[in-house]
Amino acid sequence: MEFDLDVVDYLQAAVTDRKCMSILPNNDKRRVTQKVVVGDKSGVLQCFGVKKRDVNNIFKLLPGAPISRVQLGGALGTPQDKIFVASGADIRGYSRKGKKFLDFNSNLTETVANLWISGSDLVVGGQYVFNHFSDCVDQGYYLASDKINDIMCLPKPDEGNLTSVLACNDRVLRVLEGCELKYEAEVSGSPQTAVAYKGNGGEEGRDLVYGTSDGKLGHVLLTGEQPIYNWEINNESNLGGINCLSHYDITGDGVMELLVGRDDGKVEIYSYDAVDQPTIRFSHSFNESVTSVQGGVVGSLGYDEVVVSTYSGWVTGLTTEHLQKKVSGNFQEDSNFDAETTKKLLALRAEIDSLQQQVENERNKHMQRTSKAVASNSDIMTYAPAFHVNDKFVLSPNDSSYTLSIEVQTAIDHIVLQSDVPIDLLDVESTSAVVSYTTNPPSTDGSSNTDNFLLATYRCQANTTRLEVKVRSIEGQFGHLQAYIVPRLQPKTSIMRKYPIKPLSLHQRVHDVDENRAMNELKLLGPFSFAEVHSWLVFCLPDLPDRTPAGDNATLYFTNTFLETQLVCSYSKGEARICSDNISTISILKDIMSKEATSKKISLNIQFDINEDSIRDTIRLLHPKLDQQLMLAKKVQLLDALQELQTHEGNINFLAPEYQQILEEAEDLKIQFKKQPARLERLYGMITDLYIDKFKFKGINVKQKVPQLLATLDNYDQETLIEFFQQP
Amino acid sequence: MLVPIFTLKIKHKIHPRMVTVGKYDGLHPCLTCGTTASKVFVHNPHSPAIAGGRVAVQDSDISLLTMNQSVSAICAGQLDPESKRDVLCIGTQTNLLAYDVHDNKDLFYKEVPDGINSIVMGKISSVDAPLVIAGGNCTLQGFDMEGEDRFWTVTGDIVSSLALVDFTNDGTDELLVGSEDFDIRVFQADDIIAEMTETEAVTGLCRVRGSRYGYALANGTVGVYDRSARYWRIKSKNQVMAIHSFDLDGDGVPELITGWSNGKIDVRSNSTGEVIFKDNLTSAVAGIVDADYRLDGKNQLICCSVDGEVRGYQTDKSRLQIVDANRSSDDMRELNLTKQNLLLELRNYEREQEPLRGEQVTAMERVEGGIIPASTTINTELIIEQKEHPCIELVVSTSNETIVRMVVIFAEGLFEGESHVMHPSPNNLTNEIRVPIHPTKDSAVELHIQAFVSLPGSFNFHVFEVTNHLPSFSAYLYQDNIPNIPESSVTFTLNERVQRVGIWINENFLLRHEVPCEESIDCHFIALRGGDLVIKMDNSGQVRIYTDNIDLAGDVIQSLASFLRLDHLQVTAHFPMHLERLSSIMTSVDNLHAVTQKLAAEMTDHSNLIRSLVVRAEDARLQGEIPNMKKGYMELQDLNRDLVNGYHVRSTNHQELVKSLKLVNQIIQKASQLRVGKYKAQLVAQCRDAIKTNKPSALFKIIQAGSA
Repeated sequence: MEFDLDVVDYLQAAVTDRKCMSILPNNDKRRVTQKVVVGDKSGVLQCFGVKKRDVNNIFKLLPGAPISRVQLGGALGTPQDKIFVASGADIRGYSRKGKKFLDFNSNLTETVANLWISGSDLVVGGQYVFNHFSDCVDQGYYLASDKINDIMCLPKPDEGNLTSVLACNDRVLRVLEGCELKYEAEVSGSPQTAVAYKGNGGEEGRDLVYGTSDGKLGHVLLTGEQPIYNWEINNESNLGGINCLSHYDITGDGVMELLVGRDDGKVEIYSYDAVDQPTIRFSHSFNESVTSVQGGVVGSLGYDEVVVSTYSGWVTGLTTEHLQKKVSGNFQEDSNFDAETTKKLLALRAEIDSLQQQVENERNKHMQRTSKAVASNSDIMTYAPAFHVNDKFVLSPNDSSYTLSIEVQTAIDHIVLQSDVPIDLLDVESTSAVVSYTTNPPSTDGSSNTDNFLLATYRCQANTTRLEVKVRSIEGQFGHLQAYIVPRLQPKTSIMRKYPIKPLSLHQRVHDVDENRAMNELKLLGPFSFAEVHSWLVFCLPDLPDRTPAGDNATLYFTNTFLETQLVCSYSKGEARICSDNISTISILKDIMSKEATSKKISLNIQFDINEDSIRDTIRLLHPKLDQQLMLAKKVQLLDALQELQTHEGNINFLAPEYQQILEEAEDLKIQFKKQPARLERLYGMITDLYIDKFKFKGINVKQKVPQLLATLDNYDQETLIEFFQQP
Repeated sequence: MLVPIFTLKIKHKIHPRMVTVGKYDGLHPCLTCGTTASKVFVHNPHSPAIAGGRVAVQDSDISLLTMNQSVSAICAGQLDPESKRDVLCIGTQTNLLAYDVHDNKDLFYKEVPDGINSIVMGKISSVDAPLVIAGGNCTLQGFDMEGEDRFWTVTGDIVSSLALVDFTNDGTDELLVGSEDFDIRVFQADDIIAEMTETEAVTGLCRVRGSRYGYALANGTVGVYDRSARYWRIKSKNQVMAIHSFDLDGDGVPELITGWSNGKIDVRSNSTGEVIFKDNLTSAVAGIVDADYRLDGKNQLICCSVDGEVRGYQTDKSRLQIVDANRSSDDMRELNLTKQNLLLELRNYEREQEPLRGEQVTAMERVEGGIIPASTTINTELIIEQKEHPCIELVVSTSNETIVRMVVIFAEGLFEGESHVMHPSPNNLTNEIRVPIHPTKDSAVELHIQAFVSLPGSFNFHVFEVTNHLPSFSAYLYQDNIPNIPESSVTFTLNERVQRVGIWINENFLLRHEVPCEESIDCHFIALRGGDLVIKMDNSGQVRIYTDNIDLAGDVIQSLASFLRLDHLQVTAHFPMHLERLSSIMTSVDNLHAVTQKLAAEMTDHSNLIRSLVVRAEDARLQGEIPNMKKGYMELQDLNRDLVNGYHVRSTNHQELVKSLKLVNQIIQKASQLRVGKYKAQLVAQCRDAIKTNKPSALFKIIQAGSA
């Protein structure tokens, strides 16, 4: 069964942060709709209910510091209807009527990014710090080794300490008891959010569902001693990262459904089957990232709905009530409904007209001020108008490319992308913007212009607030991608965002590697500090926190998302050991680390140990990919000719079975081929690098043999290739 | 969302833009599409299919027509005013076939050496019978039902789209021609009555209603014109595959339906361009037509994809309501967005209330706040840089110590894409950026310049928007004197004061100072793209334009004529180089024709030989004389090789011929471009006669003097 849900817009607040909207529970027995509370970046906290399609404000507080979290709480065992708000370093509590009963300074030196209330326990989190208060008395803190994305606490057992779970950027869920780290549960992506399974944490109250920044969902049971992993849903179709999760029984069958909000605007509903495996039942796409998702009865009595808040502040319902059918089914009601909407529209128009007038006045004043300033050549300064940008630049492991998403609170006019590294921009089906490239002329001295490998404008269609671009990078080439964002805002202004493209851009942090592979080793010795060597690695590899890890040494594991080769870095003061089965990886790290060291005037002692077997292993590892790609390319090439034969002859019985099969699989082949553009070229490029790097370590330059290598690849055979690599 | 009332899956590929629908028996519509292996299929679900001749029946309701040449355009329509039956016209790169599907016979099969890229069928005002009009390499040719050549004219470049539209609202249709030189030309009989310049090759034209018509460009633009005024246009990153007009919501006004390369179909209001409905096919759209495919008395909109998916949609008034409901919620959203924008703007102005002194600003704010002196102004200037390689430069500079981080220019048709970015390296940032501009065409362009200004090191920029006008003939550098006056020239007499022409020069050229134009004009220009231009005018009104570039001469005359509002202008053209070229082309055309004939004869000989050889070899086989049979087949193989070689020779010969003919047509078109109004049409008609009657000398005379 598929759900059929209708969209109802309620109201628009200012830009919202993640988890800034909640639905209040009903505490009285009267049958009324539930109220929604939402806090935004302008610091306004408002609570509203819906009566006969009219949005009624229950309360609306004055603007202040941006609100970063809204959380409900209350004494244990009573309805959780106290509203707690994190704003700046303060935590404030409000009753459901909007009366303030708590104003508490967390003493954090930064903005409170995470908040959790459980009875009288209050947990606040900054970027790295976790702080626990009980009845507003400090109970202690914990410092995480990487950014904390989300904090949640397991339902508190009758006795014992509060168990908190920190979703940290280094792909770990840290389980704390009180303020002590109990253990780390490793997950496959960096978790963005975690919620208690089915709202109550399952039988023991220790089950979690988490969502990662690369769009994966997973279920884990955090027992007292160790995590037990249940299911994980991979992100096959490259959807956005997960921003928020929630459970609600929208079907009314007594089993909770999982509500998912993603940063590409997708809202999904998963339901659990008899063995508690989730299956997707509903998906709807908004045009902007979803900041929170909740279930409740809001719009009208008797109809469950999913309430969603989006980045630009829209609070929207996906209701089981069918508005559309009402319109065409019943004429009487239809006209009624229409009159109401028209009234609303008119009111809105009037409001906009008066605003327009106001803006017009201000604009004139602005013009006068400016022309006066120009005339008198005064030293008065002026600000560029500010706007808020929500951007992300993440590696999607499925196709080994980066996804750049940029979202602005108002409509985007155009975005200019500039890069000083050779990268490819890929077309994203969902973006409607018109792209135009500037081919860059060589610089004046005739050399090719290395500052601008890429210059492109994305001119957006009207009312676009979000743009997504896929970027393909090449390992070993590093620099920056810059985006100049120009919204449709008067006076015109632009914000520039810079995204690093690291030398080992296709690597991803993992928790362990295959120990049995033949590895090459690079050893660096020298008078460098632990912090220095860490900063060099941060420069080379993604997914690393700027903060130097605690302790005297650290070991990090990575995998190349494209080739699946691995990398182990273990380092401490004065020594770094880097192992990888891919010689190119070693070579890139060697070049960059020695360059970094030289720029800091540190003399390095570099030793390397090249393992001949590793080449054979790496090629074996590549073999299935290469083979599949070559077959695919060949089949797709034949496809058109075969199809022509088919039309010409009328049937395909005379063809060899393999050709018949190609024709049968025609659609699949085409889809596969379309999905991975230039994959073969990328593989060729990496094999060539491997070849050059292998001999570079021996001190031989084999550039002139590259054409021969490419010829070998064109007539690919695994053994021949290995042989070619082993030729002196 | 649009819900189809029927979907079909045809097991054939459909070539893009080769979809038509015809009632070949006068009653039942049949979808007809070009498909792979140079075939055309006719989908006939309503009456039994016909077989024999060109036709092979494949499935129960699909018959395939074999053309043996790659099909380049198809169209079905009525040619015989007496009969209700539609005729299917199929164009290839060399021939036009008018085919009666019902009787399974060829009406005519004409050789069209200019090739066929697009076909329309219908009546135009100058000819009383319905015509099939084929557009090829620079030519338009119309045939009646007998195959008689009733209409011929030339146009600027390869014809990429055709449509019949009542442009003048007089009840008869005019011919609209879209070509690869970005122009839409309107022909009333032989005259061009209007010409609209677009920004890319015009790939689609379709009538909407009255004088309103839709157009599509190769760069993903679709829009609607009413006469020569554009109503709206939108641009997408996808390619437009087909446009069609159909009234889908039953409000009596047809909508413009666009089929895209990503399979999207959108239905837009023809007056605003707003999307009313959309749907998605699984692969690229190949064509859109409408016909009464369910035989219920109402036409359906039929959309076909390249993979053979066919969807039909019905006009439905209840759609209007849903549209309204959707629209009001969309309106709501849009209004709210506007409101938020306004609020944001207000908030930004509020911040400005307190004046901020330079010394108050901290270093941090300087970088992050995007602060600049309020007195900053931006200057843009177009200059011609007289360097070794002269070029036009746009200089963008600020008035103080602020820097210009980047300049983005949006201009149509000037750059490869629609925009050009100048992003200097971070080490060379100053308060000035120079953008070199190399116009490839002589046309006026609006430059929408955006300069990103800030104090050094900031990540937040003020964007200054300026619009500059690049005049039509900006790529010509004014000189006091040039060494060699070009040999070729155009002479004509104007009934105008010298000063008026002077104004025209000042407006259309990029000049440092105004050109002196008291008594007479004598201007010399060096063209940045090579070649020189001299414009002279004396007080008797005689104008002489010297240039070796005939296109430029044409552009100058057309621009001058429209500035002075001249209706007609006859000129004397002196282009010895072009005439020489033309005469050599004419000779080579003759030679090529001779070769073609010879080759055709050879081919006939060979095929006769083949026939006899096959018979002989088969005889031998039946009689068991294996050595003889072998010998026979060996000979056959040799002959076959000869034939294949012959084919290659013929095909290169043909290519040459097509190229030469295109050049001839282009020269005629360029010569006509030197004249204005009725003289333009007269020249084309007379040139056509001269070619038909094979009088090259007359042709030269016409080109020089404008008439025979």
